[in-house]
Amino acid sequence: MPLKISDEILSSVEKPSRYIGNEWNSVHKNPNEMKIRFAFCFPDVYEVGMSHLGMKILYHLLNERNDTYCERVFAPWVDMESKMREHDIPLFALESHDPINTFDFVGFTLQYEMSYTNIINMLDLAGIPLRSSERTKEHPFVCAGGPCAYNPEPLADVVDFFMLGEGEEIITEIMDIYSEWKAEDSSREEFLNRIVSIEGVYIPQFYEVKYNPDGTVNGVVPKKDHYPDKIKKRIIKDLDQTYFPDKIIVPFTDIVHDRIMLELFRGCTRGCRFCQAGFIYRPVRERSHEKLLELAKKLEESTGYEEISLTSLSTSDYTRLAPLTEGLIKEMEEKRVNLSLPSLRIDSFSLDLMEKAQKVRKSGLTFAPEAGTQRLRDVINKGVTEEDLLNSVSIAFNGGWNGVKLYFMIGLPTETYEDIEGIADLANKVVSAYMGVPKEKRGKGLNVTVSTSSFVPKPFTPFQWEAQDTMNTLRDKQRFLKDKIKSRYITYNWHESEVSFMESVFARGDRKTCDVLIKAWEKGCKFDGWGEHFKFKTWMEAFDECNVDPDFYSNRKRSYDEVLPWDHIDVGVSKKFLIKESEKAHRGELTSNCRVDCSGCGATAFGGGICVE
Amino acid sequence: MLSSLRAKFIRGEEVKYISHLDLMQVCARAIRRAHIPIAYSQGFNPHPQMVFGLPMSVGVTSEAEYAEFDFSSPIEPDDFVERLNKELPAGLQIVEAKAKKSKGNIMALITTASYDILVSSTKKMGINNVNQKLDEFLSKPALIVKKEGKKGVRDVDIKPMIYRLKAEALKEEETGEEQEQCKCSNPVILEYMSKLSAIDTKKLSYEIDNMFCLSMLLSAGAAANLKPDLLVAAINETSDIEIKLVKVHRTGLFVGKEGRIIDPLDPAVL
Repeated sequence: MPLKISDEILSSVEKPSRYIGNEWNSVHKNPNEMKIRFAFCFPDVYEVGMSHLGMKILYHLLNERNDTYCERVFAPWVDMESKMREHDIPLFALESHDPINTFDFVGFTLQYEMSYTNIINMLDLAGIPLRSSERTKEHPFVCAGGPCAYNPEPLADVVDFFMLGEGEEIITEIMDIYSEWKAEDSSREEFLNRIVSIEGVYIPQFYEVKYNPDGTVNGVVPKKDHYPDKIKKRIIKDLDQTYFPDKIIVPFTDIVHDRIMLELFRGCTRGCRFCQAGFIYRPVRERSHEKLLELAKKLEESTGYEEISLTSLSTSDYTRLAPLTEGLIKEMEEKRVNLSLPSLRIDSFSLDLMEKAQKVRKSGLTFAPEAGTQRLRDVINKGVTEEDLLNSVSIAFNGGWNGVKLYFMIGLPTETYEDIEGIADLANKVVSAYMGVPKEKRGKGLNVTVSTSSFVPKPFTPFQWEAQDTMNTLRDKQRFLKDKIKSRYITYNWHESEVSFMESVFARGDRKTCDVLIKAWEKGCKFDGWGEHFKFKTWMEAFDECNVDPDFYSNRKRSYDEVLPWDHIDVGVSKKFLIKESEKAHRGELTSNCRVDCSGCGATAFGGGICVE
Repeated sequence: MLSSLRAKFIRGEEVKYISHLDLMQVCARAIRRAHIPIAYSQGFNPHPQMVFGLPMSVGVTSEAEYAEFDFSSPIEPDDFVERLNKELPAGLQIVEAKAKKSKGNIMALITTASYDILVSSTKKMGINNVNQKLDEFLSKPALIVKKEGKKGVRDVDIKPMIYRLKAEALKEEETGEEQEQCKCSNPVILEYMSKLSAIDTKKLSYEIDNMFCLSMLLSAGAAANLKPDLLVAAINETSDIEIKLVKVHRTGLFVGKEGRIIDPLDPAVL
């Protein structure tokens, strides 16, 4: 390994193995033989970024190309950053330790809003101008994708182009065009001109945003006729046919999800109205269980991992779950590979499965009723009843489990204090369900944890027009619930409302919030998702100095005819459908699961998955 | 009947920042990839049966680490080495493995360790001068240092834990002295030095021209353990040499038996 970063620095920082690379299955190429160098950046620390499945897929996909060298870049932790700044070490890629400002592409994945200041910080550390308009031909193209890219506007001044939707095909198309462009001596704009017609590419500088006197958006207008009015996201129609790596990097040090992740399907059939993932990833497309078994086998061979996790938005909805898990257990038992089953709906089938698959202590099971009363659960279209939950916990308690985590949201549209009291009531009923199980059958020492997050209205959901509760209201509600929970078996945790407020601003922000982002970073904000680094006061000063009112984005109810900052993005689900869903929500009416009945959301336009089954 | 192996391995520059526990995980996964029939422990959470000798501090390299493995079915030592080496990441390499018959585990057997460490002196000193000062240092009746242990800081006499301590020059001395020079011949140390010279030395907090190697044999293991950094601290405190520790490289681990120290792969202790 070249000694590009001195041992003096590495041995003075926390967890130096974050910065050394060279892990098993990492890809190393000769940079001089490569036409394209791509820095795949995750705007958080190594342990978080390395747990992200999308990066694993795109890293290996890009490296399959003979002309491309894709390397990984993570946000250095604050101790390393200060050493780097002190010694003038620019942000480097993990594989070659080369500075990324000479690369062709610097691509960020946008997983959560609170990572945006890290993007700014990483560009600065790399010595790349923060704003797209300041970059010249000697700079890399800065691109971005991922779930938060569906409202790209808060990063519109920073990112040269966005890739909307699933990346496997679009990124290859762009690399092909780049390779041709690089061989010529054309301008930066010429390259952007060539990719603007690729479906899913959004180039913010090609669009002008017009505002109304009240500050709302009047329209997002293409500056030239041939730029598309609407940018449609990309999907992979057939997951069995698309690329999935048969080897993935095995890190040297513990990461958040240190195991093989098998992606069963994309999308979700449920349509919970608060859940952005439930809308933006439509339509549901499954991998066949045969393909998954084949992938599991190859990945186990190439990594030596001792655990496989089934990942998707709602594992229990996978139609081939029984044959898949049967096959996996049969194959993996003698190899001593554990199967981990997150996001399972708890019923007798899944508990039986967990007993067979996992040699885990019967301690914690997680349930997400999301709301405390049936009325509010109907508003959010969470098709779970109190009876379902109590049945599930009873089965679990009878099977020897003694710990239950219950996840709720507060601040949901139409919520009253009665709904919040319902959370405490439900938790109490769970305690009673435990007490109703004979002592010899249940596990010792009941522990019920109630966690509340605060509702953040997200684009492309039926609640995209809703006002978020103010921070004071959220705090009052948290306090109210805390007082209502009296049982010594119940622990109550809540999220800080300041963070939820900020998420809400940037989730639905327009281009004006981009200045705030840069201002906040200038004033020292970064790692906002890490409690100890979140500086709320500084953020408020940044809003103030930029003359931007955060309440306008967070706490304001929009009307259906307002132009939303992301209206020029097309995720397949139509605005008409979202309005219909919003109205049904306020009437407390349910909408059925895609498997039961098509409710005409618009995703059929993609001609794939469940819509054509 | 379980079969067991003791293996000697290298921990190189590429993996020196991996902690002891993480290194065991890296090995366990390599063993799985190599389809080596490792035995698993009984109980609730079975784990692969392997023991690593003397945990190393993060940042230390070594050319002589030892680990022991139990197998559920027999495997030839050479076969083990070949298969595992194919699956180990760069910087980790098994050098040799031998069948193990005895019950004692490597962790408990180790009594002594040898190191070559790189240090930089605050002022330029000839190597013979350094050695003279080290002799003076070692001739003191006791060398009391503060050692941090599980029960807090206490005074320890490290003198009985130092068996050998000698300074070695990294390049030919320019003093023209006629005495025989002590010169470092460890290729790992010399390669590290050449890489160090290639980087921007202005960014280092120490003087690269004032560096030399300290070669030493120290107590190691459960009974008495002296780490090179503590020895360096003692030298700085009680002699008129002032040095900064740059790199620690372990050159050997030894088993104590009847007053002698023996290579852990010697048939007498296997």
